[in-house]
Amino acid sequence: MKYRIIISFVFFIAGALFIISAVKEDGYGPYKPTPLKFIIPKGWPTPPTNIFANNKLTEEGFQLGKKLFYDGRLSKDGEVSCASCHQQFAGFSTYDHDLSHGVNNTFSNRNAPALVNLAWMTAWHWDGGINNIEVQPLSPLTAANEMGETLESVLAKLKNDDEYRKMFKAAFGDATITSQRMLKALAQFTGSLVSANSKYDKVKNGETTFTDTEQKGYNIFKSNCSGCHKEPLFTDNSYHNNGLTLNRFNDIGRQKITLLSSDSLKFKVPSLRNVQYGFPYMHDGRIYSLTQVIQYYCSINTANPTLDPLLKNKITLSELQQAQLKYFLYTLTDTSFTKNKRFAP
Amino acid sequence: MNKKLLPYLFSVVIIFIALGLSAFYNSPKKTGRLIIHFIYMADGKKINKDSIYTNAFGETYSISKLKYYVSNVQLNNFKEKESYYLVNALAEDSIVLNIPAGNYSNFNFLLGVDSLKNCSGAQSGALDPLNDMFWTWNSGYVMFKMEGKSSASNADQQRIEQHIGGYKGAYKTMRQINLQLENAITVSPNENTSLTIKVNLDKYWKGINEIRIAESPVLMTISEKSKNAADNFAGMFSVANSDQSSPKER
Repeated sequence: MKYRIIISFVFFIAGALFIISAVKEDGYGPYKPTPLKFIIPKGWPTPPTNIFANNKLTEEGFQLGKKLFYDGRLSKDGEVSCASCHQQFAGFSTYDHDLSHGVNNTFSNRNAPALVNLAWMTAWHWDGGINNIEVQPLSPLTAANEMGETLESVLAKLKNDDEYRKMFKAAFGDATITSQRMLKALAQFTGSLVSANSKYDKVKNGETTFTDTEQKGYNIFKSNCSGCHKEPLFTDNSYHNNGLTLNRFNDIGRQKITLLSSDSLKFKVPSLRNVQYGFPYMHDGRIYSLTQVIQYYCSINTANPTLDPLLKNKITLSELQQAQLKYFLYTLTDTSFTKNKRFAP
Repeated sequence: MNKKLLPYLFSVVIIFIALGLSAFYNSPKKTGRLIIHFIYMADGKKINKDSIYTNAFGETYSISKLKYYVSNVQLNNFKEKESYYLVNALAEDSIVLNIPAGNYSNFNFLLGVDSLKNCSGAQSGALDPLNDMFWTWNSGYVMFKMEGKSSASNADQQRIEQHIGGYKGAYKTMRQINLQLENAITVSPNENTSLTIKVNLDKYWKGINEIRIAESPVLMTISEKSKNAADNFAGMFSVANSDQSSPKER
């Protein structure tokens, strides 16, 4: 009996000390992160690198990343957030804008790429200049024609916000706000943006079937487009010259990163998931509609010496076939992604 | 208290005491501090923000910023793990190493950041992008950054901006610097030893390769010229003196 009293007393003291020590420092409560499992959709390849290997995915990190993603204060004028150019309803691309809008009525030189299935990539941006998902936000944050802010200033704003201090503590164990933690949290959010529940996926999983038109379109797709837009991600994450002429910004694409003349005018193959909402298209948004994109590929000058070899065979599609292809592409629309409340602010 | 438990308790206490004592006695107290100073010379003068120098091509210039990375520090067989230092020349930064006591005759380091760390995501400390030594549009560290002005520069406001970076293939710009110490230095336990390295900036402009301000006032992308500039790094560094226990001497 005596022991029981002593033991329970010891437990009581230990428990009380634990709670006191956890709470006393910053008043933000104990650090109890909730681990999240990154799920690879059925039938999909394993990502080439595990982007969360050194960035443990947790609910708290994800939520912090989401808050940062939607926060306009990350920009110089407080108006431009990541979400300004990566809109969820457009599959995290920019709806109806050829070029991204930056602070002070500036334009960037490129069309904002859709943030989808980023965990399967090994390089980011149209030219693949970004070598790790964690460092990607540094580019739009500091570019004068995007968010126009300095890293120092962003961190100062976050440090002055009690809610952020609380969320950094919840995600990383203490309320210290550093660029590393901010970038890792953003990567937890953007890396979690997985779209794998379109009609196409449901057909692949045997849950439904294509209509006759969609099936015909799928066949056309497989024989004309899948060389670069490889299933199931609908990109092979490589760089190709699809014959588009040099634009007014002299954007040479991949060559700027590698300095190789053989990379001139090569751009990264975008995923076609949610492509229905991704208009305008191409790296500079020069083609407005999906119909026009298909027409473009049917009208490429195959004599162009720098054209990618995969496009050297002229694509010839009747108007009906073009429409069938378009209806197939619509099956890549995943409204459970574009309307997922978990990804919304 | 149950008497049967007492011997167990006693032995547990003894084990803890023993562990504590052994940790205390075995703790590596046999390290000393090596303080590495750098002196920067240009045109025969110690550099500062106000001076004007002339390079081998007769081009005059000033230096307002000079920062570079020193990493993977090695003294003879001692390699410092995870060692990345951002040296700010105009702040007269020195590097302090805690190294095992002993005699050392080699001081080797990488000027720049190894390729792995260039693509390992968000970093902290010396490698924090806050230090303004990271390219945001073509990921990778600026290994060496020198800024100033020159009447020979045709860039905006006669600037010089030598941001030397690139970590891949033919365009990589980190360079191994191996220095032989003529007089071996002795690092004694718990004592300060200093080593002074001379950095001759004349060699930046004219070393193995020639970098003319008139031709390349601004280098801030991976390029053949940046690679050529990096080839001059090794020639810039030499041992000035090694001096026992007098870290204030420069």
